[in-house]
Amino acid sequence: MADSKIIKSKYFFEEDFTEELAEVSANKYADWNKKELKVVGKPVSRVDGYDKVSGSAVFTFDVILPNMAHAKTLRCPHPHAKIKRINTKKAEKIPGVLGILTYENAPKISWYGKSFLFDPHLRYEGDEVAFVAAENERIAEQALKLIEVDYEILPFVTDAAEAMKKDAPKLYDDGNIRGGKPSVYERGDIDKGFEEASAVAEQTYKTQVEIHNPTEPHCSVVNWDGDYLTIWDSTQGVFSVRDRVADVLKLPASRVRVIKKYMGGAFGAKLEAGKYTVMAALLARKIGRPVRIALDRREMNLSVGNRPDSVQKLKGGATKDGRLTALYQYSYGAAGAHPAGAGCSWALRTMYLCPNVKTEEYTVYINAGRARPFRAPGHVQGFFALEALIDELAEKIGMDPLEFRIKNHTDRDQVFDAPYTSKLLLDAYRVAAEAIGWKNRPQPAGSDAGPLKRGIGMSSQIWWGGGGPPAYATLKLNRDGSVRIIAGSQDIGTGTYTILAQVASEVLEIPMEKVEVLLGDTAVAPYCGSSGGSTTAPSVSPAVRDAAEQMKAKLLSGAAAHLNVSESQLVYRNGVIHTKGKNKKSMTIREIARKMGERVLVTTGKREANPDGYAINSFGVQFAEVEVDTETGKVSVKKIVAAYDIGRVLNPKTLENQIHGGIIQGLGFALFEERIIDRNTGKVLTTNLHDYKLPTVKDTPQIDIRIVSKGDSKISNTGVKGVGEPAMIPTPAAIGNAVYNAIGKRIKSLPITPDKVLTALQS
Amino acid sequence: MRYFDYIQPENIKQASESAGRDWRKALLYAGGTDLLGLIKNEVESPAALINLKAIPGLNGIEYSEREGLTIGALVKLSQLSAHEVVREKYSVLEQALKETASPQLRNMGTIGGNLCQRPRCWYFRGDFHCLRKGGDICYAVDGENKYHCVIGGGPCFIVHPSDPAVALLTLDAGVTIASAKGTKRVALKDFFVLPEDDIYRENILQPGEIVTHIHVPPVSEKTVSGYIKFRERGAWDFAVVSVAATLRINGDTIIDGKAAFGGVAPKPWQEEKINQKLKGLSVKPGNFESLSAEVLKEAEPLNQNAFKLPLVRNLLKRLLVQLTAS
Repeated sequence: MADSKIIKSKYFFEEDFTEELAEVSANKYADWNKKELKVVGKPVSRVDGYDKVSGSAVFTFDVILPNMAHAKTLRCPHPHAKIKRINTKKAEKIPGVLGILTYENAPKISWYGKSFLFDPHLRYEGDEVAFVAAENERIAEQALKLIEVDYEILPFVTDAAEAMKKDAPKLYDDGNIRGGKPSVYERGDIDKGFEEASAVAEQTYKTQVEIHNPTEPHCSVVNWDGDYLTIWDSTQGVFSVRDRVADVLKLPASRVRVIKKYMGGAFGAKLEAGKYTVMAALLARKIGRPVRIALDRREMNLSVGNRPDSVQKLKGGATKDGRLTALYQYSYGAAGAHPAGAGCSWALRTMYLCPNVKTEEYTVYINAGRARPFRAPGHVQGFFALEALIDELAEKIGMDPLEFRIKNHTDRDQVFDAPYTSKLLLDAYRVAAEAIGWKNRPQPAGSDAGPLKRGIGMSSQIWWGGGGPPAYATLKLNRDGSVRIIAGSQDIGTGTYTILAQVASEVLEIPMEKVEVLLGDTAVAPYCGSSGGSTTAPSVSPAVRDAAEQMKAKLLSGAAAHLNVSESQLVYRNGVIHTKGKNKKSMTIREIARKMGERVLVTTGKREANPDGYAINSFGVQFAEVEVDTETGKVSVKKIVAAYDIGRVLNPKTLENQIHGGIIQGLGFALFEERIIDRNTGKVLTTNLHDYKLPTVKDTPQIDIRIVSKGDSKISNTGVKGVGEPAMIPTPAAIGNAVYNAIGKRIKSLPITPDKVLTALQS
Repeated sequence: MRYFDYIQPENIKQASESAGRDWRKALLYAGGTDLLGLIKNEVESPAALINLKAIPGLNGIEYSEREGLTIGALVKLSQLSAHEVVREKYSVLEQALKETASPQLRNMGTIGGNLCQRPRCWYFRGDFHCLRKGGDICYAVDGENKYHCVIGGGPCFIVHPSDPAVALLTLDAGVTIASAKGTKRVALKDFFVLPEDDIYRENILQPGEIVTHIHVPPVSEKTVSGYIKFRERGAWDFAVVSVAATLRINGDTIIDGKAAFGGVAPKPWQEEKINQKLKGLSVKPGNFESLSAEVLKEAEPLNQNAFKLPLVRNLLKRLLVQLTAS
């Protein structure tokens, strides 16, 4: 037992492939049979449910330390400026102000590649100018107003198309296009592909900037104990924060401890250490007190990330019998003021069988907040455009859009030329099409009588989300038979505490109440990756199973020694080990643990390697039924049917949470949410939750979830694929196609607001 | 936020006197749902807050067949919409109240405060020194003006945000305004002002003047009324546009009627011509269609909000059809 080796591990995480050395488990376990499972796959209630519902859960935002100071950030009010002079003297004199950092007195720490923690060149409205710690937030805010800054106002650009022009104001000396050229992908011969096509569709689609706006704002509480720094952080990656902070403060990683217990959402905006965390650490060391920094809603809408916008010019060709011959994408998106990804072509490259594909993508700097990964970066934008184009092509060749998609189904990843470990998309199509009543959709589009017109649309989905090593979990068995799992992953609100406890409970056959899970603490937990990319459950749950299976083997070995029998004569059932046959002798876990003379038994489980030569992806489809009021332009989503191949479901309740959340977020992107920048001043207008319109419960449709997959044993010992991002990917595209089906006019830019619908109907 | 005095007067006279004569010096504090946001966002920086909640006599709802409804300015929106008489006789008001904001805000917000709330224009509320805040330009004219007014604007292009105000206009409501000098009663239609008359205020209140009561005349039994609020999302949103109508109907004829519109102008909007045409109109969809086409004839939309015109017209037509169906 406990075999392991070190391999080169590579898998997709958020925006790109990660590659690193990882120690992996070589242990093989029997594939779980769904029918025999007692805890895994069952609708177990969240272990953190009571804490959350009763309000006793302590989020980072709630952490209070003795003698804690409170910080606020002065942010640039202009989209583009340079600090000519800064004077903090008046602010320092306010009673209760403890310390102020600016570029003049802070260490010059490199940030965002070519910029700094404090950079006198301010590239967007919201860029950090000064950081103040005071006895309370109110005093800190007063101090911000007394800091005198003399700005040199610079010309700005807040639109990607404008920023790409030669004479546009430049954010960096080498121009506004990241890398100076597009990122290009090509397979086959695109020209030949279009020659073979009997129908060609060409269209430009646009998506808007979306802000993450999690419930809990970005926040940190930092405390120095000598040279030892502890950070409570609202983060998706405790190790990512630890490493960055240790690097920039030149501390050994062992002297930085990052803790995160509960978090009120992130959606990709909390995957890295924030500037505010490092500023707080610098100032806390200077003033000798713990410092708390929590951003307000305005800062959340300006400074901590967004889904970049996109302009996607797509062209597709198909034969009369519905075979895709060529797909082409030219697109650009705004990364904001600092390096970030704004690509969105993976959808077009991977979703459908097509031999001839070319994509050219530009990532463009503008004077606005920097983009960050946002729940399926690129895919949500990419699918909106691709799935609209697919529908348009289907209409051109007179084919049912679903049939057209089935015709272009592929069982191989065409970018890496590898088979998928599993792909049950065709099952998902069938189940979902029946559930929504696909056959009864209005045909032709717009033929419902009105004024309320009904429509049905669909979108496929692909994502990675197979996770991979390295991911480790330590399991401690206490002398009373209770268990603690310790892993360096984090529960970002999705139910990780619960599903990991279920895995241990299943393997060791002990009640959930006997399993405690500790996550999000770099000082005590073995490494796991950040919680993003839909990788947490698929990466960490197999490590927990490995640890639990090792523990079970240890217990069997201990019982065999004590009972003077061979292990083969023993049976493990419900946490009790007994001998086979007559004259049964038995021992409980508790008895073995005590006899072994150890207060605690420890095992460490590891995520096994992903299989060589395969692509691991999740698949799914959503069908949306909408009702469009043709007299007001309002789109109401009545129903979404979501069918998925996501490997094994560990817990139907947390799965349902994820899919509901993804669909509601997708609906917000489709219909309401948009960061709006004033074209004349370059300042953001949507800086609160009234102007930035998140969906409300009244906008939420009926949601029907169908899972067509069982565990995918090729991937891991739990056979899980992640569902966090897949849940959102197809929603805006399905809604967009449903609106077309309802009114017979295509809204090519998101969000689909009443003014756009009314204007389209009048044209 | 600067420091301010917190004043707790015991009667209107004291309240009025402590409000003083100086603009920007004191603000009246009722439910606080708008006030706190204004102060936090530094739209207002008052020297004093005058809490009205300890003043007796502003919390009641009274009804008589002769006088109609008399509503204290401090009555909460949720309290008013739940009132039996409002539910029975004043559907338009009940609907407008229930469509306002969110349950939490309706439990705190008062009817007086709702009528006196400040506009939601994102330039006015944001970090922009705009005309209404004493600056030199209206940023909306050439800026992001999808939610701004299509009529009655200039030099500022806000829309008035109140829902109940639109409903109350169709009911011929009035308000009592009190000050240290005494009280006066003003028709609601004369209460609101356009930017061309006063760029800094949305109503006629002078410093020291306080709305104490809202009066809604009795309605006859043959009256039907309703309110359609159009907003982009399902709840907790201000109206993109809204339409209110109160009609007295006899058989197939509208004897008398009033319509009013929200989200189109810097004040709750009525068109005398439309109300005249409602008088004697026979109940036919075709008539409603042609009447609705006459609405906002004088509108001059900005570059992003022309959609409000078909929207308002379609909603008026829809409301008239709904109210006359039976």
